[in-house]
Amino acid sequence: MLRFSSLVRFVLTVLPIAVGLLWLNPSLVMASDGQEHVPGALRLEMPAGKKECVKPTEWMRRNHMDFLKHNRDMAVREGVRVTSDSLKNCTTCHTSREKFCDRCHTYAGVAPNCFECHHYPK
Amino acid sequence: MTMATIERRAVLGLGGALAAGVTLAPGITLLAAPAERTEASAGRRWAMLIDSTQCTNSCTACTTACRKENNVPLFGEPSRDVHWIRKVELRDKDQRRPSVQVPVLCNHCENPPCVHVCPTEASFIRKDGIVLVDMHRCIGCRYCIIACPYKARSLVYHETRRTDESNPNVPIRSKGVVEKCTFCVHRLDDGQEPACVEACKKEGKGAMLFGDLNDPRSEIAKRVHTVATKTIRPDLGLKPRVYYQGL
Amino acid sequence: MIDEFAAIEGRSQGYWKLIAGMGLLLLLGAAAFIYIEVNGHGVTGMNNSVVWGLPHIFAISLLVMASGSLNLGSMSTIFAVKQFKQFGRFSAFLAIVLLAGGLTVLTLDLGRPDRMLLIMLHMNFRSMFTWNVFLYSGFTVLCFLYLWSMFQFPQFTKAAGSAAFAWRFVLTTGTGSIFGVIHAREVFHSAITAPTFVAVSLTSGTAMSILLLLASFRFTERELDRRLLFALRNALIFFLLLVLYLLIVEKFTKFYSPAFYDVESWILTGSYAWLYWGGVVLLGVLGPLAVLFNSNLGNQIGGIAFASGMVVLGLFCFVGFVLIAGQAYPMNMFPGYEAASIFQDGVEGSYAPTLVEFMLGLGGIGVSGLLYLLGIRFFRLLPKKATAPEGWDVAWHP
Ligand code: SF4
Ligand code: SF4
Repeated sequence: MLRFSSLVRFVLTVLPIAVGLLWLNPSLVMASDGQEHVPGALRLEMPAGKKECVKPTEWMRRNHMDFLKHNRDMAVREGVRVTSDSLKNCTTCHTSREKFCDRCHTYAGVAPNCFECHHYPK
Repeated sequence: MTMATIERRAVLGLGGALAAGVTLAPGITLLAAPAERTEASAGRRWAMLIDSTQCTNSCTACTTACRKENNVPLFGEPSRDVHWIRKVELRDKDQRRPSVQVPVLCNHCENPPCVHVCPTEASFIRKDGIVLVDMHRCIGCRYCIIACPYKARSLVYHETRRTDESNPNVPIRSKGVVEKCTFCVHRLDDGQEPACVEACKKEGKGAMLFGDLNDPRSEIAKRVHTVATKTIRPDLGLKPRVYYQGL
Repeated sequence: MIDEFAAIEGRSQGYWKLIAGMGLLLLLGAAAFIYIEVNGHGVTGMNNSVVWGLPHIFAISLLVMASGSLNLGSMSTIFAVKQFKQFGRFSAFLAIVLLAGGLTVLTLDLGRPDRMLLIMLHMNFRSMFTWNVFLYSGFTVLCFLYLWSMFQFPQFTKAAGSAAFAWRFVLTTGTGSIFGVIHAREVFHSAITAPTFVAVSLTSGTAMSILLLLASFRFTERELDRRLLFALRNALIFFLLLVLYLLIVEKFTKFYSPAFYDVESWILTGSYAWLYWGGVVLLGVLGPLAVLFNSNLGNQIGGIAFASGMVVLGLFCFVGFVLIAGQAYPMNMFPGYEAASIFQDGVEGSYAPTLVEFMLGLGGIGVSGLLYLLGIRFFRLLPKKATAPEGWDVAWHP
């Protein structure tokens, strides 16, 4: 007979080992920038002289990641390149990556790695 | 990019009407304004013809241009340096013919084993026949490197960095993914020829010809149909789209 | 005889030392993984000619052994050798833990292991890798069901055991086909590669089981009937002859056709010939056969254990040879020409493994070992005493 308790004991032993290894997850370690983050409302600078994004601001705030990801896949895999929807086009108004992308991403505690490879014009 | 008379067999496929291009002669289009939207066309088959009789031994115009255009990294370790295109020296084993040097690059095979073995569909065939690696999806398993018979692929073994000389239009690659020649897909979609072909022309060699095989009026289609050409290892049945003349 | 299973005590100093040793291997593996992750695969010995190295040798060897270690269970469930019923639990559990170890190494060596789950999102059913994902997970499930039925539902043991038995052949065929189907690589592109992997899994799985049984029974001071061991020895001899047969058929077929002269003579005399002759042939097949056929050594526990050790090492050599020599052999892009370039065209690939890769591979052994040690402590996997019926004897002795 397989005793239920022995199964539980087995799992309880293997689990901490697995969790311990996951805890060492290097991608998390690498993603952290080692700074403390203070909560509070975050206000980003508006691009000079611009009023409207290619989509409504509120929509963009929530959906830009899916929007960009979808466009990315379409561009890479189907060759569909729409100039106004491209990542490159974002950078024509949002000229500073530090003041725009990074500030909010740091605030939200996410670390997308687009610009490890892609170029953000200075 | 000059907006004057650029050969535009390139840009648009089905969405051709979207671009304000004017057809001057069959296969030659005048580019009036950059297109807002481009899309790969299923009707095209991009291909390359390399005339080995025009390619001289010391010339490295194509490989240099590729490295510059696509930010192809050199790590200073010969066994790990990345090469999208390389010059291969061929010596007849029986020594009857003088040795030749030809560029070898990804053949953008019609039946690409690299795509067949890729578990995540990171390697894929675009509608216009170009074989690409989706760097956002590649898990770095290297099975494609095992499967490609032409040594066209390399793993990125080290971190690479952008420098001031890097081409801003092409992303660099993160370590741990596999990369290879893209036929300069970003240039094709923009109506230009691959950088290597352009460099070869500039050098006055004209050993490389690029175009759409499916377009019977294109020069490459005509040449492939009239002169004797070879592909590398046709016996493997992969139907490469890089043809060699005079080998 | 059956129903006399007992978990081991697991309180002795030796047990804890073993646990600590395996844990150490696991930690070494974890450290190596993090090191490679942070610094890139440049810290390994792999390069653009040899892109799969030591970690893959460890991983694939463990996977091949995993399917082979089901032998003992199959002998009783499928072939009705009743004396082996007492090893059924052990064998199914061993298959699971070896698989776990191998898969750990395989996934941790990816260039981007963080994206591993993409395999689940985008599946390419033409890829042998995707197939293997299903084959491995299916095998684990079947082994678990088999194990469970042996504990609790003996009426289902036959069904679960048969399913696992059939699956393991497909599984190892799948593993071998990772190599066999690749036309570009002349060294291993062959329909016989996959069957050879199956045969090697039979030998190495049996050998591994022999070693583990001997060790486990000795350390727990339980009784293991020598006749059972002799039966395993005979099975091992049979499997070894099968491997030998497949190796000979392959070489015969290839040498018959002039098209393969170049690659085949490179295998037998080239720069990896030492691994082929010394590792695959001598250590993997002929050496153990010589020991087992020896009427003196073949009838001794020490001799059988020695031969089993050779077989396991031979498996690593076999996988290593297929992988490294298979990749190092230059691709013949322009038949009739000699090619040369800055991208190592026309020259043999070189590969010098580094310590980190070795540590990563050991990590896989650590995973398997640790799971095994914990398993025999928590579950009643091993019989209190392994005996064979009175008057029964194996059919043949050397
Ligand atoms: S040459 Fe190699 S990488 Fe290029 S498409 Fe063919 S198989 Fe794939
Ligand atoms: S290394 Fe990347 S592109 Fe190549 S087979 Fe693996 S996932 Fe596909």
